[in-house]
Amino acid sequence: MEVTFKIWRQDGSEDKGALQSYEVDGLSEDMSFLEALDHLNEQLVLKGEEVIAFEYDCREGICGQCGVFINGRAHGPHDNMTTCQLHMRSFENGSTIVVEPWRAASFPVIKDLIIDRSAFDRIIEHGAYISAKTGTAPEANAIPIPKPVADAAMDAAACIGCGACVATCKNSSAALFTAAKINHLNKLPQGKAEQHRRVIGMTDQMKEEGFGSCTFTGACEVECPEGISITNIAEMNFRFIKAKIFG
Amino acid sequence: MRINPLFFRKTILAGTGLFLCIFLIVHLSANCILLLPEDMAREMYNAYSKTLRDSPIIKAVAYLLYLSILFHVIYAILITIGNRKSKPQKYEVNNARENSTWTSQNMGLIGTMILLFIIVHLANFWARIKLGMGESPGIDAMGNIDVYQVTYSLFQNIYYVIFYTVLMIPLGLHLNHGLKSGFMTLGFYHKNGLRTLAKVSLIYAAIMAIGFGIIPFIVYFK
Repeated sequence: MEVTFKIWRQDGSEDKGALQSYEVDGLSEDMSFLEALDHLNEQLVLKGEEVIAFEYDCREGICGQCGVFINGRAHGPHDNMTTCQLHMRSFENGSTIVVEPWRAASFPVIKDLIIDRSAFDRIIEHGAYISAKTGTAPEANAIPIPKPVADAAMDAAACIGCGACVATCKNSSAALFTAAKINHLNKLPQGKAEQHRRVIGMTDQMKEEGFGSCTFTGACEVECPEGISITNIAEMNFRFIKAKIFG
Repeated sequence: MRINPLFFRKTILAGTGLFLCIFLIVHLSANCILLLPEDMAREMYNAYSKTLRDSPIIKAVAYLLYLSILFHVIYAILITIGNRKSKPQKYEVNNARENSTWTSQNMGLIGTMILLFIIVHLANFWARIKLGMGESPGIDAMGNIDVYQVTYSLFQNIYYVIFYTVLMIPLGLHLNHGLKSGFMTLGFYHKNGLRTLAKVSLIYAAIMAIGFGIIPFIVYFK
């Protein structure tokens, strides 16, 4: 199959950047989207042109490194999927595919499709951990946790920090990411001791990093590869108010 | 206490919004008096209007209402400015419609339309009756200000009828998104409860939009 890629090229955060067209043939519909970009880069190398910079690691939907905006959607046309799990069969033969980096003031472009997501790391640093030294893993039933609570904590813990929530949000709000990280620990007995400090610390850092307010468009939960529910944000709001009163 | 504007502004927006939602129920209930036979409607509507004007409690609530509208608008603007700073560069291609509703993406635009409506609505009634601007309203048989006549004569003008009806579409859209997201902003996160809330928001918004929108037409054809 053949497609026309329109890919955002930008040489660093100071550069203005622009979309550039590339006609690519010899693609298979069984190729993953990232393999199609590899294929394009091989052609660019043969022509002596600079390759397109894009990020990836596991290529199996686990690490959250590969996110790009494809045809107006975070991670491409499907709901709840990472870019690396997207295949070329999702596009028509001869179609044009527009690829852009995540857009947010807090995610500056490093080069082409690679953005700096370290704002997420700094939010994590402000409370997404428990400070007690736990030693080796304790016996699983030493701390009884009801199944629904464990399941809900696990659902929140599934966040891979890909940034699709921020990318797709019209306000570049990091509410879904931050809520997932807060709720994951605050639901569990191990996280309770530092629950208020965690909520205040992480939400303050979310503001410091320049992310916007959540206005509940719901786009984030549709684009989240882990399907993390927007109710997590409402729960974070509850925990925030609770922390302000009792914290 | 340190204030986090991301939460503080939204809390004000949700709190004032939900208060305005309650106000609309009272307002629509009163508007239903207009549907009664003319003589009864005139007497009851004018008496109701006098009760509101004379009550010190209603006076306090009225100030709360003005402040709510004002703060709702101011904080909506502050939130919008902050959010635009967070996303300075837009996408070349953005299919937001595939992951969210048009309403949720355009609450600011819809809100502006409602604000325009409120300004015209206040000029039509509040400015005339409370501030005594323009042609002074008459007095009915009971000696009350004839607010019914002010309403009735306004809705003899088909352009006003259309304006008052069409602008209820953005109101309905705004309420449908605003009611449920207001509760979520204030920390209501019960999963089944939110499903029920989504249905309640839709029904509430439909009742408000259809109720407020249809009464001017009924008055016009009375």
